[in-house]
Amino acid sequence: MSKITTAVQPSRLSVFWHKWRFHINVLLLLIPLGFMPKYFSDAALFRGDAGLGEREIGEIQVGPWSLRLAELRNEAPRSDGPAGYLKAFSAALCTACVEPVKATYLRIGKPRSLRAAGVIFFGTPYRMGTQLPVPVKTPADAELWITMEGWDGSMHQASIPLSQASPATIAWLNKQGAKP
Amino acid sequence: MSCSYRLLRRHLSAALLVLSAGFSASALAHNPMCECKAIDAEQIKCTGGFSDGSGAPGVTLDVIGYDETILVPGKLGSDSTLTFKKPGAEFYVLFDAGPGHVVEIDQADIESP
Repeated sequence: MSKITTAVQPSRLSVFWHKWRFHINVLLLLIPLGFMPKYFSDAALFRGDAGLGEREIGEIQVGPWSLRLAELRNEAPRSDGPAGYLKAFSAALCTACVEPVKATYLRIGKPRSLRAAGVIFFGTPYRMGTQLPVPVKTPADAELWITMEGWDGSMHQASIPLSQASPATIAWLNKQGAKP
Repeated sequence: MSCSYRLLRRHLSAALLVLSAGFSASALAHNPMCECKAIDAEQIKCTGGFSDGSGAPGVTLDVIGYDETILVPGKLGSDSTLTFKKPGAEFYVLFDAGPGHVVEIDQADIESP
C-alpha cells in the first residue's frame, strides 16, 4: 500500500483568513459602535428627549391659541425627488389648545383658503410633525404662515418670517439663487 | 479557499443589506405632487401622483379662481390626469388629496406648449 502525500498548498488568502478571522470578526462587531452616538442622538430627537427639534423657534401666538414651533433638524430642506424639497418642522400645542384645536397647517406665503392652508401637522398635539415643501424660487423675505382650525369651525392665522423660522433654509435658498 | 470567499461575500452582502435598509427611510414618504402643462392654447393637462411613485386616480383636482369660486370641479381619471379648458379668469389649480395633502399650482407656473 503506497502512501500518497500530496499536501495541497493552501492559498495565501486562505491562510490569512484562517489566521485572522477571529480578529476580523471582532472588528466587524466594533463597526456598529461608531454609529452609536448618531443612533442615540437620533433616538433622543425622535422620542422628544432632546426637545421638539434641533432648533426651537419659540412660542407663536395664533389668535387665542399658541404653539411651540421647532425645526426638526437645523439644516437645509431635503430633496424628496419629484415632490421637490421638504423641510421638517415639529410643533407642540399649548396646553389649553389641545382640546379645541382640530388641525394645524403650515405654508410658505399667506394661504388662499382653508382648503389650501398648506401641509397639516400630524401626531400627538404635544409633539406634532410635518414636512413643508420649499420651492427653490421662494424669496428670502418669504413668510411662514401657521393656520389653526378649531373644532368649532373657527380659524386663526399667524405668520413669522422664514428667516426667523429657519436660517438654514434661507442660506440654502440664497445658494439656489446663485446657481444658474 | 472558495469557501472563505463565499463566506466573506456573504458577510459583505449582509452588511450592505443592513445599510440599505437603514438609508431607505426617506424613500417611504409619499408626498402629493402635481404637474400641469398647457397642451395647446385652450387646453391644460394636469397629472397628479405621490412621491413614492403611486398614481392618484379619482383624486379631486379643482380649478379655482382668484376670487375663490370653483371654475372647474374635477377628479383625476384612471390615468391620474385631467384635461380642462383654460378658464378666462385668473385661476390656480388645487390638487386635493385630503386636508393638508394639497398641491397648488398658480396659472403663472403652468408651462405653455
